[in-house]
Amino acid sequence: MMYDVCIIGSGAGASPLAYELSNAGYNVVVLEKGRLFREEDFSKDEIAVSRRSLFTPLLKEEQHIINQRESDGTITRHVGSEYNWSFWNGSMVGGSSNLMSGFFHRMKPNDFRLRSAYGDIEGANIVDWPICYEDLEPYYAKVEAVIGVSGELVSHKFQEPRSTKDFSYPPTAVNEVTKWFDSTCQKLGYQSIPTPRAILPYDALGRKACSYSNFCGSYGCATGAKGGARAALLNKCKAKIITEAFVYKLESDAHKITEAFYYDKNLKSHAISAKIFIVAAQAIESSRLLLNSKNKHFPHGMANNNHQVGKNLIFSAGGSGQGRFMYENLREEEQKELMQPGLFFNRSLQDWYEYDAGERIYKGGTIDFLFEHANIISRATKQFYNEEGKILWGEELQEKIHKILTTSRVLTFEVFNDWLPTEHCYVSVDDEVKDKFHMPVGAINLWGHAHDLKVGNYLAEQAVKVLEKMGAKEISVNISASAPPNLVAGGCRFGNDAKTSVLDANCKAHELDNLYVTDASFMPTGGSVPYTFTIYANAFRVADKISEYLQSQL
Amino acid sequence: MVLKSRRTFLKETFFTGAVLVMSGTKLFGAVTPLQTITAVQEDLFPHAKSLGANASAYVSTVFHHSRVSEEEKNFIRNGVQWLNEEAVALYKTTYIKLTPTQRQNVLIHIAQERWGERWIETLLSYIMEAMLGDPIYGINKNEAGWTWLHHSSGLPRPTKAFL
Repeated sequence: MMYDVCIIGSGAGASPLAYELSNAGYNVVVLEKGRLFREEDFSKDEIAVSRRSLFTPLLKEEQHIINQRESDGTITRHVGSEYNWSFWNGSMVGGSSNLMSGFFHRMKPNDFRLRSAYGDIEGANIVDWPICYEDLEPYYAKVEAVIGVSGELVSHKFQEPRSTKDFSYPPTAVNEVTKWFDSTCQKLGYQSIPTPRAILPYDALGRKACSYSNFCGSYGCATGAKGGARAALLNKCKAKIITEAFVYKLESDAHKITEAFYYDKNLKSHAISAKIFIVAAQAIESSRLLLNSKNKHFPHGMANNNHQVGKNLIFSAGGSGQGRFMYENLREEEQKELMQPGLFFNRSLQDWYEYDAGERIYKGGTIDFLFEHANIISRATKQFYNEEGKILWGEELQEKIHKILTTSRVLTFEVFNDWLPTEHCYVSVDDEVKDKFHMPVGAINLWGHAHDLKVGNYLAEQAVKVLEKMGAKEISVNISASAPPNLVAGGCRFGNDAKTSVLDANCKAHELDNLYVTDASFMPTGGSVPYTFTIYANAFRVADKISEYLQSQL
Repeated sequence: MVLKSRRTFLKETFFTGAVLVMSGTKLFGAVTPLQTITAVQEDLFPHAKSLGANASAYVSTVFHHSRVSEEEKNFIRNGVQWLNEEAVALYKTTYIKLTPTQRQNVLIHIAQERWGERWIETLLSYIMEAMLGDPIYGINKNEAGWTWLHHSSGLPRPTKAFL
């Protein structure tokens, strides 16, 4: 059977295309490596989700090699399964969007022209995007309406232009401590922004409202309020979804992809033919699939005759920090406010999305504030050591756990700034290690530019000022060059120059007529916000381009 | 079939099978991991038992889990041997035969070693799971651990254990 469209992957970069193209009447098949989990399958089982990693592959069966570039230029090789170092997110229908926290900030106009706006930085491959903010704005608006983004628009100096007055849904309910935060920011002259979230505050779009269960990030949503790709899109389209289908190779002639080969759960191989192929298997895995798909026309991997596939892998730079609010410093009423369960914090700062560092204007970023995750086992295990780094046990540990967990609460912050693309951070395939499908595993070659740390630390300093002024104690900051596995992009950057990019402005491969890559791989730079909102918006944009093309072929 | 039987046998004997304890280069005797781990867990966090959490039974269950690595299982089993060898070196007998004070001294002694600190941390982690995980796993009886820490579980709760 010849499908109109074959989509590899089912997450945020895949589902808008499945939704738009199948609802437009095209015959669409989606190949998803993971299983199907529905709302009724999602519980708040910390042992399954957080301790035993229910939603990701076993590392001994599927893993990555991590080649870390050290400061002296040497490379340290880490076999993922030996170091328990996982770059998997959500291997399931809807992908990791099922498990996101849903912090939905748009990228700013200057994020699309990073090089023009802020200039080159030595050692970084900074480029402008081949599209501008105005090209993507209608699709951000579409995501806000179709996926369901809740929030409250407040004006601030880096507020991006919008075609709609406000978000499609009012904000979800917040904890009273947000008032402490707002008042502190006002005193400091900072602009507190209600964080837009892909979470429905009431029943809408055929989905149930948020139940304020107090567990959001890392967990699947049992009501469907969270705008994951399965709940928001795949449930509402006619695309055929084949689960537990691992695509291991694409085949082509000189101009077109002809077939996608996949293994089912019994390791039986199948082939799918289609007019158009869309790869959206998550940034690292999409590059890996192309690199593993070699033939006489593409001896270095599909769409890789210019040797660009896998290059310029990026993550989100920055890190996190936290401060603790303790009963002994609070009035009784404040203690009750602090411990209100279930409600969101939902506050962000973008005052330093760009800032003047004296010698030049720096691109800065976003700071999101949220309460420490409710996972109780995790919070208890964090108390195992005393301030001197000595491990505790017995009554001393018992008393520490009880006091900390019952009379204090941690407010955390996450810093998002650009991970500059460089020649040292890229995806390749490993020569030695293969996965359970006997395919070479992806190799993640890691290096972070020193500039990323400088910006991350600057932003963290601003966040610390807020925590200090709010009265938080035990404030700590962790800004590092470590790569967050859930915030990965690049590897198949789009651009107008076919020599230096993999995809054209419509995310179609320069070298093939019917191959598109629509997960975060396309991003040449990442902006300073979490990626999912932009991945969704771009996938809706590309769906329109493919729809136009298919109509022209009728 | 032979392999399958052997694997089953290994699983069943992982905790009950003997671990040899050396004194220098000489064989001192043998201990069973389950006995030692039960004693160590009670020494590390006695409050778990008062909350009704059977941490050693939970560890036995978890160790059949496909998502607990062989490296971790072997590390815990090896730790049983090394702990007892420290006990023999310090007091000339195995861990479970020591007085509570002597056992604490052995724990303090091994906590100075990198492996010992990691081993204690690993066992403490499983105690926390047994004390604070969802009761669907046969742990945290009557939600006593959650009550102790004033914790309300997220909803919905699991209807089956992920084992």
